Amino acid sequence: MLSRAALLSGQNSRALVAFSRATGTTPASNAAAAATDSPSSLYQRPVRLIEPGKVRHGFIPEEWFQAFYAKTGVTGPYTFAVTLTTYLVSKEIYVLEHEYYSGLSLFLMWYVGIKKLGPKLAAYLDKEIDQYEKDWNSGRVSQKEGLEAQIADEEKAQWSIEGQNILIQAKRENVALQLEANYRERLMNAYQAVKSRLDYQVEKTNAERRITQKNLVEYVVARVKASITPDQEKQNINQCISDLALLAKA
Amino acid sequence: MGFGDYPLEYNPKVHGPYDPARFYGKADTPLAQVKLSELGAWLARRNKSPQAMVAAVSRAYWRWQHKYVLPKRAGIAPFLQATVGTMIIFYTLNYNRITQHRNYKYH
Repeated sequence: MLSRAALLSGQNSRALVAFSRATGTTPASNAAAAATDSPSSLYQRPVRLIEPGKVRHGFIPEEWFQAFYAKTGVTGPYTFAVTLTTYLVSKEIYVLEHEYYSGLSLFLMWYVGIKKLGPKLAAYLDKEIDQYEKDWNSGRVSQKEGLEAQIADEEKAQWSIEGQNILIQAKRENVALQLEANYRERLMNAYQAVKSRLDYQVEKTNAERRITQKNLVEYVVARVKASITPDQEKQNINQCISDLALLAKA
Repeated sequence: MGFGDYPLEYNPKVHGPYDPARFYGKADTPLAQVKLSELGAWLARRNKSPQAMVAAVSRAYWRWQHKYVLPKRAGIAPFLQATVGTMIIFYTLNYNRITQHRNYKYH
């Protein structure tokens, strides 16, 4: 826990130093080591040359010609060579014995051989060395390709996992819809059940009332009929007959 | 420092991988930049022990290797240089015998 008080009191300073300590391969430590002993430009890692040093006439270093140019101009080195050769030969410091003429014929053979076969051999060897280097690199290159393919696969997997998220979302919505539908269906069932019970109650009440009314009517009629005496009946019939007679008169 | 050891001045922590073509001691003025008046002092400063001489030849050999033999597109130059060098060495070795074949008595 890095509290401000601890920072101020310096209790964590050792931990911070350890945290920022550089390893042997960090640029900072290399620069520090170079700065303490020598300028870093003197001690750079050696690099293999691709093209060899430039030469003229097959083997004479270009630098030797460059050394002449500042003092003598372009023809200087050739003038020097011709002059020196003339001196050595005329004083017989360089002796033109039989080996010299043997050397001339050898030089001719070498010259023709190099001019004729050199370019073809160089092209062939360049191809071979490229193939050789490619073979040595192939493991690393193929591993790199494999790792890149794995990265691509991983990214694709992540992408499809995102698709899975959408799918799960859709499934959840689907389930929610189903739950909603189920809920509404049950709500409807409850409504129907309650309604049927209420309808039954209403129907029952109606039926009871109807039966009660019927029984009452029957009872009243029976009692009324029972209450009619033969006397009254006779009177009634007589009244009817008189009414008929009255009607016939009219 | 025995046979096959690195130079005493070589420090892997400072110099990195060992380069046999490099002089790890304190660099003096290059010979090409030395004035004639300073040449004596320059020569007096040279380390003339046999070991140092062999080391100098070894460094020169590796400098030549790095420059002409080991590059990827190395050509025929190192072979011709070796041939010419061998010719000069053997001409020098045989010089006393070769001078017997001089054609002219007076020069």
